[in-house]
Amino acid sequence: MDYLDLAMNKALSLGADYADIRIQKTTTQMIYLQNLSLKNTSSNVLHGYGIRVFKDGVWGFAHSNQFNEKSLAATVTRAFEIAKLSARARKGAGLHLAPERSYIATYRTPVEIDPFDIPMNEKIELMMEVNKTIKNYEGIRQAVFYILMNKDEKLFASTLGSKLDITTQFINPLITATAVLDGDSQSRTFDEGGRAVGWEWIEELDLLGKAPQIAEEALMKVKAGTLGEEKRRTLILDPNHLGLTMHESVGHPTELDRVLGWEADFAGISFATPEKLKNYRYGSEIVNFVGDNTLPQGLATAGFDDDGVPGQKWHIIKDGILNEYGSTRDTAMEIGLNHSRGCNRATYYYDQPINRIPNLYLLPGTKPLTPAELIADTEDGVYIQGRGSFSIDQHRVNFQFGGDLFWEIKNGKLSRPLKKVLYKSNNPEFWNSCDAICDERFWQPFGVVNCGKGQPSQTARMTHGSAPARFRNIRVGGSQ
Amino acid sequence: MSKNIEKALRYIEKNCKADDYSISIWTKDSHETRFAQNTITQHIAGDNLQLSLEVAYDNKTGKARTNQLDENSLKDLIATAQNTAISNQPDPEYMPTLGKQVYPKPVNLIEATAKLEPAEMVEIVRKSIAHAEKQDARVSGMTEKHIQRSIIATKKGLYADSSFSEFGHSMTMKKGEAETKVSFNHKDYAKFKLKNELDRLSSQMDSLVQQKPFEPQRIPVIIRPEALIELISFMSWFMNRRQADEGFTPFTDQLGKNFFGKKFSLMSTLKDKDLIAPPFVSDGLPSEEITWVNKGKLLTMPTNRYWAQEKKAKPSQLYNIYVPGEGTTEAEMMKLVPKGLIINRFWYIRVVDMKRGELTGMTRDGVLYFEKGKIKHAVNNLRWNEIPHEVTRRILAMGESVGVEGYAKIPPMLIDAFNFVDKTSF
Ligand SMILES: [Zn+2]
Repeated sequence: MDYLDLAMNKALSLGADYADIRIQKTTTQMIYLQNLSLKNTSSNVLHGYGIRVFKDGVWGFAHSNQFNEKSLAATVTRAFEIAKLSARARKGAGLHLAPERSYIATYRTPVEIDPFDIPMNEKIELMMEVNKTIKNYEGIRQAVFYILMNKDEKLFASTLGSKLDITTQFINPLITATAVLDGDSQSRTFDEGGRAVGWEWIEELDLLGKAPQIAEEALMKVKAGTLGEEKRRTLILDPNHLGLTMHESVGHPTELDRVLGWEADFAGISFATPEKLKNYRYGSEIVNFVGDNTLPQGLATAGFDDDGVPGQKWHIIKDGILNEYGSTRDTAMEIGLNHSRGCNRATYYYDQPINRIPNLYLLPGTKPLTPAELIADTEDGVYIQGRGSFSIDQHRVNFQFGGDLFWEIKNGKLSRPLKKVLYKSNNPEFWNSCDAICDERFWQPFGVVNCGKGQPSQTARMTHGSAPARFRNIRVGGSQ
Repeated sequence: MSKNIEKALRYIEKNCKADDYSISIWTKDSHETRFAQNTITQHIAGDNLQLSLEVAYDNKTGKARTNQLDENSLKDLIATAQNTAISNQPDPEYMPTLGKQVYPKPVNLIEATAKLEPAEMVEIVRKSIAHAEKQDARVSGMTEKHIQRSIIATKKGLYADSSFSEFGHSMTMKKGEAETKVSFNHKDYAKFKLKNELDRLSSQMDSLVQQKPFEPQRIPVIIRPEALIELISFMSWFMNRRQADEGFTPFTDQLGKNFFGKKFSLMSTLKDKDLIAPPFVSDGLPSEEITWVNKGKLLTMPTNRYWAQEKKAKPSQLYNIYVPGEGTTEAEMMKLVPKGLIINRFWYIRVVDMKRGELTGMTRDGVLYFEKGKIKHAVNNLRWNEIPHEVTRRILAMGESVGVEGYAKIPPMLIDAFNFVDKTSF
């Protein structure tokens, strides 16, 4: 831990009020297979360190990939000088950091089989088989199999005295079949959005076993009918679909930095402003959202965030009421919270950490309810599986979502498959229209590994989850 | 840095045993000052480097990437790429690397940008904040400077090396409930005049003071360049020869046909001094003057080397965007239709239907309603669902082309019957 001590001593000797160093090595392996052509089979390593200096209420951040004492000292000095420059454009006394204690700790994502230990040819053989199976269906014009394996090894130290040794990893397989028929083209995708687990998950998933269904559903979809005119209908949404819906309509609006307007220039701000805390009806009484950076297999579970704050579990929406935000040490104090919820994360060593969505999920219903019962209880509606087109305004109010597979529900039965379905809704209409959530037996996690935010742009990951849920009176129709 | 890059190239040349290889090196030296709500929130400096090696044994390929240039890292890099290729399966679409090429020499690295000091960047931020405070408003944005270099070298003797500079300053101002944004991006910092940007921001803000509710409908719109570039970028992303040939996009069987509106042309050009124009594109192919769409006719589409060989076409890539304009002013456009909206920017555009080329998105940063040639008031933001190539068939008039985002030059356009489908609360 030599570099850690050197950097922190240097920062203190310069006069930093607070400083931390994050030495981070990101190792990724990706394989992209398209119609039996290996477009990208690559292994990547990014190794370096980022140093944050907090001085007189402002930040300076400098990074380097040069591992020698001279470069380390120069990078600390650069971060310090930048912080001093920042003070020239500071408002009032600047920012304040929420109190935090020091930790000496280690965290490792529990992994049974490290994906990096599986020989490349074994992975490719499996992918080829899946790709061939899908491509062999008549009418399937494109078969894609993409897999990403990622490992982040971090050493963190702060002037509070913390020393953290954290290794997290995740794996994300994605399979797509695209059918072309009679002038239309439709895809069906298997994508659970990544999970913080090892290769054992790939084995459990039995992707070769799933391949025929993916191809057949793509063909079914390209032949499917459309819904026609937009009108108020009932929606039943599966957990994979809801993962993205909650990400956009609950996750982002409850990031405290957005609430404070720190993302106003690009990613946007939030309608869920602080005066609404503890009184705003965000959803119906059965809607409970929990932020949980301790969630097993969660993509944002790392023991600690990049502020050195431990992972926590808290209600973001409780019985339908906006309860609390996801926060960082520098955002928490701005609304008088004395404690960060540990949501500060950076993507690579060269990124300054920013306020991110934690693992965030919808609690299952408390009464026994199966998806079959939920559908049987629905006279006229649409059931949506998987993720599709999504768009939301920059205050996180109005949104329009598609999906990956759609079914018309008539008299309690899935009556026919559909394509090109879109629904339009907004906050708080959408979550207030939720009138049923299946029970915990049907709760499933789904990851997001490409959450883009920030200037310069960063890509974060987190896990969402839910059981299938029903929404009444939503505007649902087809694309033109 | 340069010496280490030379050394790394030599080392790989000497030690890589594969039948064929291609080395790509990318470096970026950045300084980024981010501010929000009238105070600095982030301030970042540092340089990045990535070296990627793609090797082939016959048609089996492997790739590895590192950001460390010491011998041990390079040795690992070569071994990883080679072992991957050896254990890989053959790629039926593999293309051997190219040999020596001759490149154009556009000027993309500008001294004024390279020389810009962090203290001056903070001063720009300070003045931007002071300007907002004076008007009782809050400003958020980013001032950034980047120097990038990109190198491609192959076993067969191709060597491509180019650098470019970028300066950017963006400001989103919020006053009461009104929000608006201006942004400047150019390779040459000397072209930046803070006063012009502040004046533009103030005048946009002034026009937004009074806002009235507006229902979604089909209505003529004047789309300003910062908004239009997003539509055109998405549309050109659909415009891929192979995707079209295989039936996935609206461009299937449209080559050589009048697929767009007659007023619409689209080019990539090395000749425009305001545009960043890389001398080479992927695989080290030299950039060339290309007209993709001429007066509505689709002439060619971006095509990779493999597909070009299959289709006996020329490989090509869209490296910047130039859409010629006509010179109609906004005031004149407002007189060409009884009423309409002026759009500053779009937001969160996503594909709704790839085959139809249909997109959805929101307006952002100020929408103005005009009637009888005059701006009447601001309106709430709206959602739209549209098909960009069909939008080009509804162009009623175009202004003069102006630079946006450093890589595009496009005119504001008056479009008939733009399809708004929903509204939001602000
Ligand atoms: Zn996101």
